[in-house]
Amino acid sequence: MDSPFPKSSSAPGEGRILARLLPNGVSGLSAITYQYPLKLIAPSRPSETKSVLVFLLSYGGGLVAGDTMDLKVNVEAGAKLSVVTQGHTKIFKSATPDIVTRQSMHVHVASGAALCLLPDPVQPFEGSVYEQTQVFKLAKDATLCLLDWVTQGRTARGEDWSFVRWVGRNEVWATGDGSGAGTDRLLVRDAVILDGGPRHPQLNSLRESMHAMGVVGTLLLRGPLVKSLGEFFVSEFAALPRLGSRDFRSDEAKAKAESDASSPLERWRAGRLEMEKESKLLWSAASVRGCVVVKFGAPAVEAGRQWIGSMLAQEGSISEIFGDYALLCVK
Amino acid sequence: MTNPDFATEGNSDENELEQEIADLERRLAKAKARRNTRSQSSELNPLTTPSSAGLQLSPISTSANHFLLLLSDSALPLGSFAFSSGLESYLAHTKAGFHGAGHPPATSPAPFASFLPLSVSAHASATLPFVLAAHRDPSTASLAALDDALDATIICTVGRRASVAQGRALLSIWERSLSAALGPPSSAVAAALQPFSALLKNPHKTDPPPVSAHLAPLFGAVGRLAGLGPEQTAYVYMLGHVKALVSAAVRAGMFGPYQAQKTLARPGVQGLVAAMVEREWKTPVEKAGQCVPVMDLWFGRHEVLYSRIFNS
Repeated sequence: MDSPFPKSSSAPGEGRILARLLPNGVSGLSAITYQYPLKLIAPSRPSETKSVLVFLLSYGGGLVAGDTMDLKVNVEAGAKLSVVTQGHTKIFKSATPDIVTRQSMHVHVASGAALCLLPDPVQPFEGSVYEQTQVFKLAKDATLCLLDWVTQGRTARGEDWSFVRWVGRNEVWATGDGSGAGTDRLLVRDAVILDGGPRHPQLNSLRESMHAMGVVGTLLLRGPLVKSLGEFFVSEFAALPRLGSRDFRSDEAKAKAESDASSPLERWRAGRLEMEKESKLLWSAASVRGCVVVKFGAPAVEAGRQWIGSMLAQEGSISEIFGDYALLCVK
Repeated sequence: MTNPDFATEGNSDENELEQEIADLERRLAKAKARRNTRSQSSELNPLTTPSSAGLQLSPISTSANHFLLLLSDSALPLGSFAFSSGLESYLAHTKAGFHGAGHPPATSPAPFASFLPLSVSAHASATLPFVLAAHRDPSTASLAALDDALDATIICTVGRRASVAQGRALLSIWERSLSAALGPPSSAVAAALQPFSALLKNPHKTDPPPVSAHLAPLFGAVGRLAGLGPEQTAYVYMLGHVKALVSAAVRAGMFGPYQAQKTLARPGVQGLVAAMVEREWKTPVEKAGQCVPVMDLWFGRHEVLYSRIFNS
């Protein structure tokens, strides 16, 4: 009987995904290989065909000290690839700080192609040492939707940014026009360095410097297919109520304004703002060098998930373009 | 919580001090040698006129030290006073209840004592490697590459605005005021930043534009051109950030000018700045990054404040 899982490649932790547009106009995989501890699963009979879906997993649901995962992804012209995970990526404790657990991903997205990478957050355990590098090379008119988020650890065990070190770096490059004249240009480099190691006595501890946030994340958007999504984040950010403003209206005027705010978007926004306030979620959005970068942080991981899920669902284009399953991890 | 007294000072400061003394002594010897070889004709500097020939020149009058003082002067028209580096937004957020359990309310000097080291650490990890790299190689190609890389790294509208406004101001100061003092307009030093400036002013076809003129790489380059060492350049760059923060705190009404000077004079600040320079001394620019994620949020959310007295 044929194994439902793709064949393994040779080096430990290495993997490769090659997505292309099939003749029938549907995105498919022309190659998918992986090696322990990396595991990739492509459901063989997808219920939707808007994009091809790959689960990015690891054996045992996490990375133990010293594990290295190195994934290369190619999305060929016109193809659409969605990558999700199944639960938090757990990073286990390292015996000594020089044993680094690494995950790297190198992605090429061809012209007119699209990658949607909305995984669960990384959950570094106490004592873990982790470095993650994700490099995205985008051709002209290529689309990228990338979420990268990290949590404080296992709160049930009292972990609160108790790891040794966590470094996450995301780079978005625009590739040359292929004529050989243009070289790759770095558009955005989003790097977060969280160091729980010894520090100058004047500095707050890592936990204090996180200011009670339990999860922090970045959403990076670039390309024609997420243009409307990017504009949505920027306009919602601009529509945030001004901090420190005071409402001088009478109670009746307020009640009337509330009942007047009857458009579905306004009602949704009012609910979301209430939720942001209650969960103490902070976020900002900026349009930078042709990309939209959204930063957010919340004391509770689930509040962060609910917020990003709500934003993506409300705007709707991710599910329309990549299919509902692309949003599996943010529901 | 941070230590609000800034009372401790590491051993590294002593080493630093020793090094600085050795450095200054070397400079003094050089300056004396130069004075002896030079003719007695009166120079611009009144201290070298014959009437004061018998005076022992203190090392402070060397050209590098002179520029060090100019670059650290709060009268340097960089417009730093217009930026609070997220302090104003931080205050508004803590006031509005967006602060974690155990954090002090914004009505005492405590929030500043908490904010200052965070801000200094974040500023150093994100930008100091660019200052040092530009000091190592202030050529136009290197400076343009560093500027573009930093532009890709500062992913916050408010932060970019602050960095670019001050960078452009520094470039103007260099062109209009400082460069002439270092040589005739055609000399290598005085003309060093001209190609960069041309790159900035030329109508550009690329999007994003080739250079934006961020503060950090330009500061490194100007420091190098003015004869400052890498340590001095990095130190005065970081101290400039601390001074801007303290000045913003005074303008925001957090405390008065005496408390401000007290904060600046504390060995804690000195030790902190030195420690940050040491921490980032060997960091390649590719590894620069944000070490206080919540700082990005405060910074970015400066735009949603109802009332603002600062541009960042």
